[in-house]
Amino acid sequence: MSTTGQLTTPAPAPAPRAVAARGAGRPGGRFGSLRQRRALSFYVFTGPWMLGFLALTAFPLGYALWLSFTNSDGLSPNPRFIGLANYREVLTDQTTLDSLARTGLFTALTVPLTIAAGLVLAVMMNQSMRGRGVFRTLLYLPAVMPPVGAGLTFKLIFDRDSGAANGLLDLFGFNGVSWLMDPYARWVLIVLTMWGVGNIMIISLAGLQDIPKEVLEAARVDGASPWQSFTRITLPLLSPVLFFQVVTGIIAALQSFAPLFISLDASPQGMASVPQDNFLFMIHVLTEYFADGRYGYASALLWVLFAIIMLLTAIVFRLSRGVVFYSVEPEAARKRPRTLGGK
Amino acid sequence: MPMSKTTSLDRRRFLALSAGTAFAATGLSACAASVNSDEDGGGSGSKTTLTVMSQDNELDKKTIQAAEQALGVKIRFITFDDTKLNAMLAAKNPPDLVRGLGATETPYFAARGLMEDLDPYFAKSSVLKSSDLDPVNDVWRYDGRRQGAGPRYGMAKDYSQDQMFWYRTDLFDAAKLDHPSATEPLSYDEWLDLGKRLVKRRLGKVKVYGLSATSLGNFSTLMGMTASAGGSLFAEDMASLDFSSPEALKALKWLLEYTKADIGPNVANPNPDGWDWPTYQANRMAIACDGYWFGGAIGGDPKVAEVSRFAPAPQFGGTRVSPTFGATGYWIPKGAKNKDAAWKFFEWYFGGQPAKDRASSGWGIPTLKSLHSQMPQGTALQKQAFEVQQQELDYFKVLTFTPYAQLAALDSTLNQVLPPMVKSGASAGKVADKLNSLMNDQLAKGKQVLG
Repeated sequence: MSTTGQLTTPAPAPAPRAVAARGAGRPGGRFGSLRQRRALSFYVFTGPWMLGFLALTAFPLGYALWLSFTNSDGLSPNPRFIGLANYREVLTDQTTLDSLARTGLFTALTVPLTIAAGLVLAVMMNQSMRGRGVFRTLLYLPAVMPPVGAGLTFKLIFDRDSGAANGLLDLFGFNGVSWLMDPYARWVLIVLTMWGVGNIMIISLAGLQDIPKEVLEAARVDGASPWQSFTRITLPLLSPVLFFQVVTGIIAALQSFAPLFISLDASPQGMASVPQDNFLFMIHVLTEYFADGRYGYASALLWVLFAIIMLLTAIVFRLSRGVVFYSVEPEAARKRPRTLGGK
Repeated sequence: MPMSKTTSLDRRRFLALSAGTAFAATGLSACAASVNSDEDGGGSGSKTTLTVMSQDNELDKKTIQAAEQALGVKIRFITFDDTKLNAMLAAKNPPDLVRGLGATETPYFAARGLMEDLDPYFAKSSVLKSSDLDPVNDVWRYDGRRQGAGPRYGMAKDYSQDQMFWYRTDLFDAAKLDHPSATEPLSYDEWLDLGKRLVKRRLGKVKVYGLSATSLGNFSTLMGMTASAGGSLFAEDMASLDFSSPEALKALKWLLEYTKADIGPNVANPNPDGWDWPTYQANRMAIACDGYWFGGAIGGDPKVAEVSRFAPAPQFGGTRVSPTFGATGYWIPKGAKNKDAAWKFFEWYFGGQPAKDRASSGWGIPTLKSLHSQMPQGTALQKQAFEVQQQELDYFKVLTFTPYAQLAALDSTLNQVLPPMVKSGASAGKVADKLNSLMNDQLAKGKQVLG
């Protein structure tokens, strides 16, 4: 109605279908319907990540896949398409197979060791005791140290002729040991990997603190021993956290560059001086890329590693059934998501 | 359902848009590489930015500032890193100037068409005249088959004949050994024997190294030794190598003996410092196989300088040769955006004040003949080193490196093969066969890529 009080011809009422269509697809308001606004905020928030994913992950992955079918050295102007030749070579290249076996052994040793050590430390740090905060900080500190720094320290400690480790042996009249060369280098590498166990400890500690005290208290009242409480209550309730650590630990171990940190340096010359026992798969990949200049073959190696990681992860997921206990069943959670104000 | 259709369409559009933007972003660097700047007085008034990939101890902030002032450019410094350089070259977005080892890198990069032919620049230059170039600069030449001929692709900033050696007179005197001659080269066997006599051990640890013979890396060392025995590791076409030839086998046997003797840093017990100076300075190394440049470090410590002497490169007999394995310098990538500005930097850095400063520092032999006279001779050590070096120059030789593999790849193979074979006591012949098989495979693959 006009403010002047004049009567105006009323506009014809829109057809019901048109109203319905407008109401459903466009809304009333500047930013559209609630659904459209939600979609808009979804895109705004996921957009930067999506761009990053496509530019920094999907594109390099696709590029590496293309390279893996060529004989590219990354520099020569005309790489040739060679089909599956690089993948066939992976299956017959003894250096590749050896490095893969070494990496498998490294993974099989370090993943259980680091998780067990982290769990033990977490259980200890979960007890009430004086100076707990200080101990937690001290145990976590090595994890904060950059791996290159830790590697340098290890090189100085384990140097044969001037390192502290042999200095200690010297004090007791023992012969010095070439720690950084075969066959001892792999043990130094494992100790270096254990050096970052503080990370595992912190995650396990968070998991332990999430276990309701009432459950443990009830078990104690029912006469359960500390060991029974730990194995029957704590471990099952902590199993999702441990499972997460197993999966990420396997992936990290398979992709480990740690041998470089205790080699001469991190350049191609550094790759060249990694002792044989520490010549893990990723060191082999780096050498193929930047020392041998075989971009095509190295890219094929990376895709093979990707496939192995996917396969191992699938196997671990499969094996986890009946061993990992979730407080909320993932399936149930998916079917009945919690919503604000919902029942 | 209409709504879900609309949402689905939006999602697809969103994904398509994201992908387009992402690929456009990744493609930008490549586009940038193909666009030439208006560097030389393009009239925009803005300074040209010269991207230089080098090491900060060779191109420090003071030198960068001096270059910016002298050349009227802005210098973007990138710390040298092999992997980064490969990535930048592969992305066709290389620096304008790259630090490199002329002796071992020139064939690899030149054969791939990555280096700018600098002959036209040298021809026009009034600062860097071909007649004034020290012969070492020939390692930066490559004619498609061999080094030492063909276009110039770079220039060395300074150099050393890397198989010469320094020794500590105090450790020789303590062991009651005669000092090596300053004019007549030792044989490799005499050299090894000295190392064995000078080493000091305690409980399986070497307390004083008798001899550090492989600070250049094992492959370069073997290459030089084989040349000294009158042979060549590489075949004529550079597409294969042979450790089984009498000359190479002699060198290999020597290296295995040196490694087994454990009298200095070696492939089975590398130097944790990465270079000889800290150990030499700490009075824990009697002989260090390092060229003239090492005198720069020694000169900085008067106490060490007093007990140090320089000696000619040991020989295997035959023809006396004393090569270089570095000839570190700069080259201009073919894909560089500011080639003319890069050349101006070349002239200033190799022929201007920085070259004079380097010549008088004692950290290397100048690469312009006219600057040789400026090599330091102020102290007794500098005088002795200068005299020994001048005699040695007559035996300089360019050794051709293969274009089919990088030095790091061949060193990597040696480092993987030698320790277990030395430990198992394998014969030199068996080691040679293993190395031939692995390295010839590497070279064959490199050749296949290069076509």
